[in-house]
Amino acid sequence: MTLHVKLFGMLKSLVGDQTDVTVALTDGNQVRDLIVLFQAQYPKIGELLLNKKVIVSINHEIAHPETTISSTDEIAFLPPFAGGSGQLRST
Amino acid sequence: MSMVNVDIEASMLVRVQRENFSVDAEIDRVRAQSKRIGGIATFLGTARDRSKGRDVSGISFEHYEGMAQKTLREIRERALKDFDIIEVLILHRYGEIDIGENIVLIVVGAEHRADAFQACRWCIDELKQITPIWKREQTPQGEEWVEEHP
Repeated sequence: MTLHVKLFGMLKSLVGDQTDVTVALTDGNQVRDLIVLFQAQYPKIGELLLNKKVIVSINHEIAHPETTISSTDEIAFLPPFAGGSGQLRST
Repeated sequence: MSMVNVDIEASMLVRVQRENFSVDAEIDRVRAQSKRIGGIATFLGTARDRSKGRDVSGISFEHYEGMAQKTLREIRERALKDFDIIEVLILHRYGEIDIGENIVLIVVGAEHRADAFQACRWCIDELKQITPIWKREQTPQGEEWVEEHP
């Protein structure tokens, strides 16, 4: 399945100012697989995901590494928010 | 009031919008919700010309459409549930904002001031922690996304 991952803030500058990137996943893939894929294809973003500097949302909810991704999901990568302390909550 | 009117009114109490807003008009919107309101606390965030020791000539905000509104609705609902208050309005702008202009407004109406102050403080702190909105500052050194704000 092909999915578009929405990018915000400084993340866009890491991929030539694109607002989203397209990725190919297989059925049953989880968020952790998406992170591995980004580590390979977009290492800078992959590192931010791994360090939890950037969090993943699915359908406007914060996702977890074990969240399963389906083809109709809206996925976004969220860098630290404008007013945040830098310690993003994952719950 | 019909359900449609209630929904429209509720949607006016949580907004993410490009255009500027009138603080007076938004206070009146909260005031109109109940004659039991005896105190209204507000927080207004404005664009300042200095950040981390650097001059700032302008700022812009990007938001995640849908998720930002959902998060603000949840903050409003939690405030109404957790504090002894009557109404909450949360409004945030996006796009280009000139120095000195309005950015964000919280208006809380309660019977008594202590609850209004407390809930207002909680709402703006929570907004800054969990709402997917990003700030970009224009400085003499160039433009930069602001990632942290103590």
